[in-house]
Amino acid sequence: MVRIIAKNISKYFKKGRVIALDKINLIIENGERFGILGPSGAGKTTLMRIIAGLEVPSEGELYFDDKLVAKDGKLIVPPEDRRIGMVFQTWALYPNLTAYENIAFPLTNTKISKEEIRKRVEEIAKILDITHVLNHYPRELSGGQQQRVALARALVKNPSLLLLDEPFSNLDARMRDSARALVKEVQSRLGVTLLIVSHDPADIFAIADRVGVLVKGKLVQVGPPEEIYNKPISIEVASLIGEINEIEGKVTKEGIIIGSFKIPVNINTDKAVIGIRPEDIKISKEPIKEEEWILIGKGRVKVIGYQGGLFRITVSPLDSEEEIATYLDHPIKAGEEILVYVKKGSIKIFT
Amino acid sequence: MRPVVKASLHYLALAIVSILWLIPVYAMIVNGFKSNLEVLSSPVLSPPTSLSLTAYITVFNALAKPLVNSLIVVIPTSFISAFLGAMGAYFFYTLSYSFSKLSSVISDVLFSLIALATFIPYQATLIPLTRLIVSMGILDTYIGIIFAMLIFYIPTGALLMSMFVSVIPRSLIEAAKVDGTGDLKIFMKIVFPLSMPGFISTLIFIIIQSWNNFFIPLILVTTPNMRLVSVAVQSYTGGYGTLYNDTFAAAMLASVIPLAIFIFLGRYFIRGLIALGGGGKGV
Repeated sequence: MVRIIAKNISKYFKKGRVIALDKINLIIENGERFGILGPSGAGKTTLMRIIAGLEVPSEGELYFDDKLVAKDGKLIVPPEDRRIGMVFQTWALYPNLTAYENIAFPLTNTKISKEEIRKRVEEIAKILDITHVLNHYPRELSGGQQQRVALARALVKNPSLLLLDEPFSNLDARMRDSARALVKEVQSRLGVTLLIVSHDPADIFAIADRVGVLVKGKLVQVGPPEEIYNKPISIEVASLIGEINEIEGKVTKEGIIIGSFKIPVNINTDKAVIGIRPEDIKISKEPIKEEEWILIGKGRVKVIGYQGGLFRITVSPLDSEEEIATYLDHPIKAGEEILVYVKKGSIKIFT
Repeated sequence: MRPVVKASLHYLALAIVSILWLIPVYAMIVNGFKSNLEVLSSPVLSPPTSLSLTAYITVFNALAKPLVNSLIVVIPTSFISAFLGAMGAYFFYTLSYSFSKLSSVISDVLFSLIALATFIPYQATLIPLTRLIVSMGILDTYIGIIFAMLIFYIPTGALLMSMFVSVIPRSLIEAAKVDGTGDLKIFMKIVFPLSMPGFISTLIFIIIQSWNNFFIPLILVTTPNMRLVSVAVQSYTGGYGTLYNDTFAAAMLASVIPLAIFIFLGRYFIRGLIALGGGGKGV
């Protein structure tokens, strides 16, 4: 319900000695679900706090629709007038108020009648399935319930922009998926513009239509999550949005050579980094005769791990310490020699 | 060292310190029950041979009015100082997170001034303080004493409360700001309830300090009827001779109220200090 425009936004800390954000230009469309992905310390939270009005940009301009809200170190529209709902990483529930009072808190600052407040709190509590815990204090709630109370508090005032600052990082892994689905469902029902900050690509894939990757205060790539996954501009971006094998080796006419592996790539420079996603690697004892899989050589299985129903296999070339990871649906023995294949056209080259 | 030995040594040390602290209290209690002759003739730590209540009765009659006077002065002084101190503390908290450089400079300067004000000996301000109170026409009134004490105890309250307020997570205040809450409501609904253990600690501290304050009531009270208990107790040590049993009984009565407060609210005092040390645990 609001369009956010950032023009050349920079943020310095400690009198300019620390550059948190470096000339960010960004447009988030009305009703869009936008994700900001980046490693810790990249400036993600700073950018979100600037949009929320909790920080001011040292330089640059920030617009909500056509309205200038902050410019060159000056706060023009304070946070309370920006019509935003925010879910903090720690959720920031008021510990001395019950869940009901927490959710009703933003409404008590408006001229809405008590009955109307009750109606709206109960309505949002029903959507988020927390009606039965409304009389409890935050410390009596489970992590998932606290998170939903925080979300309810952010949504109850019908914000035009919903800001989520790593909202799922304090939840256990099993609850995250349902929490993500819930956020997405509520967002599409209310049509509010959504901005989520996270270092976890799973959050981004589950929620965002578009994602901006922030590295060392610079917005390095913006696009749909799939596009960034498939066509990352650097190995850093590639590893932020998903697991990737980073390989650096001697470049020859036949490709990159590491020990017994020969990876067929066409590179003109003599130094390059290539990246291969684990799903683009196949290991097999028997030769694979399919066209799309290219044999790169023999390797030795080093480590076998298990996660999420798949076996994570680390393979090394016969006479090198480099490691390549891939996944397999059945376990194999460590130390075994095995044929390693790479999917045609899946190798990402970064020069 | 074995844990048993270590614990025993700890308790031994604590016992010695406690005894040192309790000896004067004990002397105060037992000597109040002696007759004046016995106080002078028996060792100070020996218990009374016969329990005499005369000293307490005479002293109580004389001290009743000063005790009431002290309560009238100390209760508003301590509540106002602790509450305004808490507000001041929150004001500095918000200033220090403000965007403009000027306000953080103002915050630093004002806070230093407050810290300084806490350490000014009030004896040094005797003449200006008295002149101020006289020109306001409130010499020898409750309002005058309360006003003078507030001058000294509000900075103390602000200094103490700023330690408790600053451990409140910043995200709570930011969440309230985003929710469109004004500063006064943030203070009343969130900051003040959350700093309650600290508030009680500060309150107890100021109650005891102002109850025992001798100098301000001494200079600002001119008629015997308005005397506070700290001054009244002093009058028992006369220039020509001292009724020791009465002095001890008076001291005892004068310290009953702060002692009772400390005994009943002591755990809140400790809890406040713990909340501080634990980085706002329990917040």
